[in-house]
Amino acid sequence: MDRKQFKGNLLLYGADLSKWPEEERQAGAELLRHSPELQSLFAEQEEFERILKTRKFEEPSNNLAQRIVSLSVPQNIKVPPRLGLFISDLFADNFYLPKPAFIVVSIFMITALMTGFFIGFSNPIGSTSTDQGQANLQAFLHYKGDVLWAKE
Amino acid sequence: MDRFPLFDDKSLILQIQEGNQEAFAALVDRHAKRFYSTAYRLLFSKNEAEDIVQQAFLNLWERRLLWNQDKGAKFTTWFYRVVVNLCLDHNRKKKPMPLSGNMEPVDKQDGPEILLDEKQKQALLDLFIQELPERQQLALTLCFYEGISNLDAAEIVGIKVKALQSLIMRAKTTLKERLNHHFDSGSMFKR
Repeated sequence: MDRKQFKGNLLLYGADLSKWPEEERQAGAELLRHSPELQSLFAEQEEFERILKTRKFEEPSNNLAQRIVSLSVPQNIKVPPRLGLFISDLFADNFYLPKPAFIVVSIFMITALMTGFFIGFSNPIGSTSTDQGQANLQAFLHYKGDVLWAKE
Repeated sequence: MDRFPLFDDKSLILQIQEGNQEAFAALVDRHAKRFYSTAYRLLFSKNEAEDIVQQAFLNLWERRLLWNQDKGAKFTTWFYRVVVNLCLDHNRKKKPMPLSGNMEPVDKQDGPEILLDEKQKQALLDLFIQELPERQQLALTLCFYEGISNLDAAEIVGIKVKALQSLIMRAKTTLKERLNHHFDSGSMFKR
């Protein structure tokens, strides 16, 4: 190895002889030991590399990998609940409710049905007397003196 | 922690091609930092580097069936090419950065130690590296900063080893000259 080759290797592989190709390392070390000029060049290269290594580096966010993985999972698109959609789904062949939701909906519907029957039978429309109904109708027709409907 | 410690990258890719999300997570865990580092060196921005790495991995997941093992390339070499290409493409679309006030050349009479603090030196170094031709910058990043062998780096850049070595040497020579010139005739290298 001559000086020119040494300088080339120094620039290419750097001021760390252990990173030089094995077949050139020994000859390089030998040359360096006997040349003050190359020793000075070597020191200068060391300093140059030290400066290059002072280059700013910011670590990535801790959750970078996690974020990438979560983005690869297909996202469920949230659709705002719509009554019409729900009813049409209800009659669709493939309508499906998870078991707990199905039980809750069933109990709610049975309760609503029973409440309806209870209210309906406890205060039926037909329970008001015919006279009272007629009076109510007259009051409505002659509200504040207006006659909305001609008397028969 | 590696979730698939016994699986090499090729085996993980095979699992990923079958749609195994866990294998994908393991591959991302294993390599995200390494590719971020390269992207950061080329983009000079944490957010942009993270975005590029994210985009590269998501492309890999979405186009997982396109990866062809038979081509013989190592996963990392191939993926470096993906990341590097995305970075270069991103940089080409960006507007060139103007020389900011704190990067103005130092008045040689004042001496570098007085005027430049560590942050300014870093900014100056970044600027000089940014001003290198694209391929020189790339060669320097891969070989000097990322410690990739000349052989692998040449494959990533898509050139012969000799050409890559020439790029590294030119990059270092230019940087040395510019730093020397900027810091009063070589005083930057004097202890």
